[in-house]
Amino acid sequence: MKSFLIYLAAFFANNYFLFAAEAGMPQLDPTYWASQAFWLILVFTILYISISRFYLPKIKDNLNNRENKIKEDLENANKLKEQAEIKLKEYELILKNAKKDVSKIHFESKNNLDKDIKFKKDKIEKEIENKVVKAQKEIKEFKKNSINSIKTISGNIASEIIKNITGDKLNESSIKAAVEDVSKEGISKYL
Amino acid sequence: MASNPMQQFTVHRIGPEIKIADIDLSFTNASLFMVISASVILLLLFFGSKEKKIIPDKIQLISEMLYIFVAKMISDTAGSKAKPYFPFIFSLFMFVLFCNMVGMLPYSFTVTSHIIVTLIMALFIFIAVTIIGFIKHGFKYLSIFIPSGVPTILLPLITVIEIISYLSRPVSLSVRLFANMMAGHTMLKVFGGFVVSLGILGGWLPLSFSVALTGLEILVAFLQAYVFAILTCIYLNDALNLHH
Repeated sequence: MKSFLIYLAAFFANNYFLFAAEAGMPQLDPTYWASQAFWLILVFTILYISISRFYLPKIKDNLNNRENKIKEDLENANKLKEQAEIKLKEYELILKNAKKDVSKIHFESKNNLDKDIKFKKDKIEKEIENKVVKAQKEIKEFKKNSINSIKTISGNIASEIIKNITGDKLNESSIKAAVEDVSKEGISKYL
Repeated sequence: MASNPMQQFTVHRIGPEIKIADIDLSFTNASLFMVISASVILLLLFFGSKEKKIIPDKIQLISEMLYIFVAKMISDTAGSKAKPYFPFIFSLFMFVLFCNMVGMLPYSFTVTSHIIVTLIMALFIFIAVTIIGFIKHGFKYLSIFIPSGVPTILLPLITVIEIISYLSRPVSLSVRLFANMMAGHTMLKVFGGFVVSLGILGGWLPLSFSVALTGLEILVAFLQAYVFAILTCIYLNDALNLHH
């Protein structure tokens, strides 16, 4: 309200301005109005020209640069993300194949191993059986041989004993027959 | 003891008297503070646009925020057609803002508290906007005085009111800024005077008022600069985008 009255005062005569200025409103003293107008226009023109010519384009450039950079970076990031996803898929595929291969190899090698073990086991069992049969045969032969040699040795011993006791030499075939006779009864006891 | 609260608005000559064709164009304290405000703006923008950093420092951030603030204000109120006038509105906003803010410093002078300064700016805007309106629309620009959808009987009355309101634009624009600045600074001075006259015992209350008023005045300083700029945008919008 007060300000409006002040403005109304501005429309009145020049004398009134001087009166108002004296009454305490330096704004209404027209002494320096021309000077203020002149300096305002000068300063504002310089300000306007330097702002519009130099500073605003620079700031605008800078803002645009930043926006472009952000856009570019985002695009790059998206591109990289896509690539990473593709790589991940590839990796997963490779992993899956590898797992398949592993189980296949595992299965195969297990089969082979089983077969091999079985084959070797069979072979060894057969060998052992052969050896057992052979050993039994050898034992049998040895038994037979030992009976013969015992007979010969006991015949010799008997003829020696008779010779020593009687001083006579007995017929060898009779001694043999006697040993044979004894051994028929007793030798099986020791063998 | 308490000096005249209006004394802070006196203009006095600094340096020699400059007279051209009997008109006094001397350099005054008002001119000095115009130069100071403009220099502060130019320095801020100089350091704000010197290094083109992707991640801005504080001063660059301030100038970019001011740029974005004004750019948004213009595009919101006057649309994309107002883009060529962006430098002018930016300069205007910055000039008014910094004159107001520099005026808040103690012992300084508030350029915008003088009716002649605000009136010249408002008249320039008024005349420029009117010329732009006539250039863009020719005589169709006069249809701004005839609002659409008004009954025929009321049309003469409304048109007269519209013409008066249009012509009072420079008055309202200039007086708003000038009166706000003058009233605020006068009030600060009056309360400051109370502090001195009431002394150490009673001065604390007006002192606390002064502190609160200083905060309020800083808000007003920004707000009035914003209002001045946004009203300019609105007038420009009327001239650029003629309503039908």
